[in-house]
Amino acid sequence: MTEKIIFWYGCNVLRHGDIIHGCLEILRLLGLDARPAGGPDYCCGNGKDGNQTAADGMARRTVTRFNSMERDRLVAWCPSCHAHMIEFMGEAYTPQFDLTYLVDVLYERRDRLAALLKHPVPMRVLVHKHLGFNDKVAVNERIPALLRLIPGLEVVDDDYAAPGYMCALLSAVPAAMEDMVRETVRRIAARRADAVVTIYHQCYRELVGLEPHAGIKAFNYIQLLAQSIGLQYEDEYKAWKKAGASAGTLIGEKRVEQVGVQFFERALLPELMKRPPGLGDE
Amino acid sequence: MRSKQVVAAIGWRTPSVRHWLQHNQDKMSANMARQAMPTGAMQAFVRKETERILAACTKCGKCFEACPMTRYSPKLAGADPKAVATGVLGLLNGGEGSPEALAWASVCVRSGSCVPACQDNVDPKMMVRIARMIASGGLGGTKKIPVRDDRDYYDRVRAFAKLQLTEDEIKNWM
Repeated sequence: MTEKIIFWYGCNVLRHGDIIHGCLEILRLLGLDARPAGGPDYCCGNGKDGNQTAADGMARRTVTRFNSMERDRLVAWCPSCHAHMIEFMGEAYTPQFDLTYLVDVLYERRDRLAALLKHPVPMRVLVHKHLGFNDKVAVNERIPALLRLIPGLEVVDDDYAAPGYMCALLSAVPAAMEDMVRETVRRIAARRADAVVTIYHQCYRELVGLEPHAGIKAFNYIQLLAQSIGLQYEDEYKAWKKAGASAGTLIGEKRVEQVGVQFFERALLPELMKRPPGLGDE
Repeated sequence: MRSKQVVAAIGWRTPSVRHWLQHNQDKMSANMARQAMPTGAMQAFVRKETERILAACTKCGKCFEACPMTRYSPKLAGADPKAVATGVLGLLNGGEGSPEALAWASVCVRSGSCVPACQDNVDPKMMVRIARMIASGGLGGTKKIPVRDDRDYYDRVRAFAKLQLTEDEIKNWM
């Protein structure tokens, strides 16, 4: 019988439609009936340290909505959501579902996944790791193991793990973010890697800028699994980052108008133009 | 008429009708279930954790010593680990918190290196997280550290969703 799950993708990965679509297709190919749920209406409230009344309301709403779906388990993409569910939401309210992180689902089914990985991805990659979250899910070991299932792909051994659990919170400590970028670039060169591979979307958002600004290829691990399976999802976010100030032209007038021209220019374009900190001047 | 009855009456005829009904059925069920769950459970849990931490911590400062982020705050240069831990507990106990305690809470990015360093099972990551909530004014009281307020956060997420997902996906997945 097909296991019915909720695929809780979170909020910020909505910048990367190819990652969400790739995850869903991989889950389907692994025999899971995945129902996607995410965005602000399913927010975990992890970012609301400064307003616990709001965090409480969000936790209550989201746990309640998942309970009402009556699915076998909740599979999380985002490490913030996963950790917040374990540490706070699930302690405060009463989840009526099991919680698993996506990497564990893929790792549990790695034999079946390996059979799907038919297309070689000849590349030598450095996995971008963090110190945190690995106590909950052994991502720093399991992601390299999953990537090594891809024909032609080599994962270099490297012991660097950046502070934090993903790059998101480092943005509040600019010097730490700069150190992370500099050390990542240094390790890529030292290991003669062709590319850096991120585990999380937030790190991908920070490091994908290395392509246009430092000539270093960057991927998220799901993109490489999808590529080896033969799934064709375009990484538009990377294309927009490469376009920089011209991203609006690439996206197209009609789509920019859908989100509002002024809002696009004020709230989206600066992010697309942003150069990874710590690289120095161009 | 309950949404389940609506679904039963018209059948699962088209994917879009099915998805709309499923989506709204979940919302209605969630609304009913929510009425049964009292609000404020998060704050109650945080209070309980605060009491546990205050009772368990021996202020040894090993958590501070293990933190990879202390070098990013000038206020923490040369700080006494035991004094910083004591300052954090003061904050949890309703006090103002020392400048060092506030500085540590400000640079915490949840690396979790402090957790295995603790011999008393305090969970210092939780301790500093709660200190940060308090210092941010999240549990009432005044703000003692700067809080990032990104007024565009959710609108930006929705805007990217519009650029990356189809209308049906937005309707049914968000």
